[in-house]
Amino acid sequence: MSGFLLNRLSQSIVLLVIVSIIGFTVLNLMPGGPLAQFGLDPGMTQKDVERLAAQLGLNRPLWLQYLDWASRLIRGDWGHSFRDGSAVLSVIGRHLLATLLLMGTSTVLAIAAGTWIGIRGATHRYSLFDYCATVGAMVALSVPTFWFGLIGIYIFTLKLGWVPAGNMYTIGDGSVLDYLHHLILPSLVLSLVHVAIWSRYMRTATLDALSQDFVKTARAKGVSERRILLKHVVGNALLPMITLAGMQLPSVLTGALVTETVFTWPGMGRLFLDSLGYSDYPMVMGLLIFSAILVVLGNLIADIVIATVDPRIRLG
Amino acid sequence: MTTIVVHAAPTRWWHSRAVARFMRHHLALVGIAMITLLVLACAIGPYALPYDSLQIDLRARFAPPLSGHHYFGTDPLGRDLAARLLEAGRVSLLVGFSAMLLSTLIGTLVGVTAGYRGGWVGAALMRVVDGFLSYPSIFLVLALAAMLRPSPVMITVIIAVTSWMETARIVEAEVRSLREREFVQAARMVGLSRRHIMFREVLPNAMGPIIVAASLAVARAILLEAYISFLGYGIQPPLPSWGNMLNGAQQYLASAPWLAIIPGAAITIAVTSFNFIGDGLRDALDVRNDHI
Amino acid sequence: MTERSATSNYSRRDALRMVAIGGAAGIFAPNLLGKPALARTSPAKPTGRVIVGLGQEPTVFNPLMAHIEVDDGVHFSVFDALFRIDPQGVIQPNLALEVPSQKNGGISEDGLKWRIRLRDDVRWHDGKPFSAEDVKFTLELITNPNFRSWRTSGHSLVRDITVVSPTEISWRMEEAFAPYLSFLTETFIVPKHILEKEANPNNAAFNQAPVGTGAFKWGKRVAGDHLELVANTEYFGEGPHIERLVFKYIPDLTVLYTQFKSGDIDLVGQPYITPDHYGEAKKLPNRVVTLVPRASFESFYLNLERPQFKEHAVREALYAAIDKEAIIQGLYYGVPTPTETFMPRQSFYFNAGLPLHQFNLNRARKILDEAGWAPGAGGIRTKNGVRLSFTNSTTSGDPLREQVQQFLQQTFAQLGVEMKISNLPAAVMWGEFWMQSQFDSVIVGSSYLIGADPDVTNRLHSRSIGAKGGRGSNNAQYANPEVDALLDKGARTFDPEARRAIYSRVQELVRRDLPFLPLYQSNAVEGLKKGINGFVPNGNTRTESWNALAWYWAS
Repeated sequence: MSGFLLNRLSQSIVLLVIVSIIGFTVLNLMPGGPLAQFGLDPGMTQKDVERLAAQLGLNRPLWLQYLDWASRLIRGDWGHSFRDGSAVLSVIGRHLLATLLLMGTSTVLAIAAGTWIGIRGATHRYSLFDYCATVGAMVALSVPTFWFGLIGIYIFTLKLGWVPAGNMYTIGDGSVLDYLHHLILPSLVLSLVHVAIWSRYMRTATLDALSQDFVKTARAKGVSERRILLKHVVGNALLPMITLAGMQLPSVLTGALVTETVFTWPGMGRLFLDSLGYSDYPMVMGLLIFSAILVVLGNLIADIVIATVDPRIRLG
Repeated sequence: MTTIVVHAAPTRWWHSRAVARFMRHHLALVGIAMITLLVLACAIGPYALPYDSLQIDLRARFAPPLSGHHYFGTDPLGRDLAARLLEAGRVSLLVGFSAMLLSTLIGTLVGVTAGYRGGWVGAALMRVVDGFLSYPSIFLVLALAAMLRPSPVMITVIIAVTSWMETARIVEAEVRSLREREFVQAARMVGLSRRHIMFREVLPNAMGPIIVAASLAVARAILLEAYISFLGYGIQPPLPSWGNMLNGAQQYLASAPWLAIIPGAAITIAVTSFNFIGDGLRDALDVRNDHI
Repeated sequence: MTERSATSNYSRRDALRMVAIGGAAGIFAPNLLGKPALARTSPAKPTGRVIVGLGQEPTVFNPLMAHIEVDDGVHFSVFDALFRIDPQGVIQPNLALEVPSQKNGGISEDGLKWRIRLRDDVRWHDGKPFSAEDVKFTLELITNPNFRSWRTSGHSLVRDITVVSPTEISWRMEEAFAPYLSFLTETFIVPKHILEKEANPNNAAFNQAPVGTGAFKWGKRVAGDHLELVANTEYFGEGPHIERLVFKYIPDLTVLYTQFKSGDIDLVGQPYITPDHYGEAKKLPNRVVTLVPRASFESFYLNLERPQFKEHAVREALYAAIDKEAIIQGLYYGVPTPTETFMPRQSFYFNAGLPLHQFNLNRARKILDEAGWAPGAGGIRTKNGVRLSFTNSTTSGDPLREQVQQFLQQTFAQLGVEMKISNLPAAVMWGEFWMQSQFDSVIVGSSYLIGADPDVTNRLHSRSIGAKGGRGSNNAQYANPEVDALLDKGARTFDPEARRAIYSRVQELVRRDLPFLPLYQSNAVEGLKKGINGFVPNGNTRTESWNALAWYWAS
């Protein structure tokens, strides 16, 4: 196992380096740049723009810029944003919290709803409920999230006025209730896809579990149906749940991107879009590395869990 | 009288039992019907409608559905929404389908090679897959869209380049398990070339998951194209696509909601149908269901 | 005790001009840096809070560093400049006691020696007194080659800055440069005693928590969300009257408007309310929504080095083929005003006598026919192997501009001209693609004026062509020797009447040559809650929050 881990670690480091090199190159090859925001300023001349580029170190050879950035990263300095000079890591951290809040809430909702729907569908197989749940899950997977969000805003904000139009909290408020008020619609919209996935998974898992021998034994012993369900089905679903969650890790960056755009939620996805839009190189590179680390971690967790569960699959 | 059953190579995917199972999957049949209808509508519909999708008429802006001959209303430039919807369907469906073909091709090649060869070649390839997966797809999309002028062909390439990894991982896992089967050992003993084994023996037996992944890939490709165009980096005006019809509909949500509802509904219907088909295929091709 | 109010800069002629232009303040000639003399209902002690909603986030708080328009709102509130410019275009003293001119001796006859007297009752937010040393430090910091400063033109001509006394400063200019006075209205003074201690002013803590002399002190900032300023009760001027000023960042324009409707924000800042909401916004109860002329104008901007655009006939024909009325009324809901020039109509230098545009497709066809552009393959006009086909670009994600593009595409097609649309994200669009003239044509909205000064050398002088090694932003690559000579002269002339004649002629020539096809002048749909008094729009600054110190809630 330790051999496998070491192997993976070294592979991952190589991966991170390559990802960063390619990302860096692509970023800098993209036409335009962080100085494009001054392109329309009547007082900024070509001379001013060149001066700023030199001062930001943008006209040094690419490999030199990369080494500078990489050497600082290794020492823990993720750099400072081109826009306001704030430290990249703290900005990422703050936005990460916002995204985790959103994704966490929606995941909890999704698991709760999905589990109930899935189990009910399995125990009442082929009923109307089951049929609707299956079709509903399919449709939920097919609806473009941003469109669903728009429709949600249309109904619940514009027509009914029940929820605010965006952001995470109201200025001057910031109470827990206020946060919740802002959280409802975005997390519901985001949870849609996950409810679908989760309900279908639970349905299959429940069906699988119900056909097992130990369930028949339990029934014969007189254990209530409910306890059977809770103890065995949900218990057995726990491990794959962790795997699924682990595989979700890389999508922390962009999983909520769409929802964050529509609801102007100050999360990672929005940060990424904004930073790309401003060509804020240090921030984008920081986000890329962060995302790559998440991918590596996510894969690692998934692989380890699967290998633990199924010893037939050789690691590596 | 004992019957000796000879286990030859596993059944090929076009075995009639799979097709029969597919036929019993009602939703999948609905999906096929809807897709056929959509394709027909998009192919022929624009010729049947009274309005051109490009005709700008500023006096007829924002007409709600069912005003005169504008069955779905008009958009902010007064163009007939129904005509634009069907024209857009051509683009979106075509882009989605082509992107699926391309990404499946790339993904299958990489997956088969990595899964069969194993060792450091396989590991290296899978790390490449991981590498591609590390980039948030939106980064690749935006970066590529900024460097290459977005045309439907470029968008297809961009979507394919950002989606082949899923297929590769599925194929690699499948091939890795197939690699140990007897028929592969047999083929190796007989001395068949590695390439022959990979593509003539192993691949056909991995087709099941590949086809399922492919049908889901179309769904994802259509959604991705919609999102890219919604952000403004995809299909450029005046060429309509379902995604870029939604771009700009957000600000008219209060006054002209049909501008957002109708294209979104079209996307949902198309993607749902592909998901139904994919689900049906998955059930049909799942060898574990062979006893059903 | 020195008098608290600075000498007003209003001469009789200025007052008459104000009336002629129809300035909002009219004859009452208030010191527009404080509340109008009439209203007496403002609270004695600053109370209340105003939330300004912005579509872009202010991120640069050191006013000397490179920044964009949206940062101005914060700078105007936290800092002061030597002078300010009022809505009528008249320069008023702010930190200075009076505006120097050749008449009062503040500027020498040859325009080279400047002498400015400053107020003596100004304090920094940390209590230290303001002096001429701070002004000298500011001007020197701007031209420091290691400092990431904003605009340096004008400042780079300043030599021999001398602190005559704590309240008097003088310097010498390398050459006579009249626009410098306007530039100084956008040059905010920073504290020497704080910044001189920094080894690297680019990374100073000051940049995240600025200290100025302005009516508002730095409060706090929640990055990505909002920032809060608090009243400076020791401010030397009249105000502020609100206790807290909040700038809230709402990246989505529809949400910005929705929050204005629902009252989550009190005032809509840049980029204001979109034209399609104007009709509804006007009728909102308890809201005041007005159209404010801004200095930027929208044009169909051409790259004159492209073979299709070299001929004047083509440019004239294209201009005649633009149905401005339909665009303004139909697509923009009548919000902007059609224009023939780059000069905003509220400017003293606006030339009202330019030939008016007429939409006439037949005339356009005739012009092209007579110039020898005959329809060729596919119906596209051709001449000498050059096809009248080109691309047009603008920032992607701007629905109104995209609609204009598609509308023009259809109209031009009727003329036998093929226009292809290729839009780019902003960070790509305004990079080398724009600055090195790599485009065919662009639809762009921008201002040509710096600080309301009419000098447009940067945009129209032939030595400002970046693609040819020049130093400005004349990206159309327009070169007219007569215009060059006029611009050179205008920059050296200080007398407004003389300058007016010069720039009128420049506008005439530009209108005749049509290096760009002027569409309309932007009118911002500015909205605020009823109950906020003291808000005065100012088309000569880049922000709506230029005089937040005068705002107060009616009780």
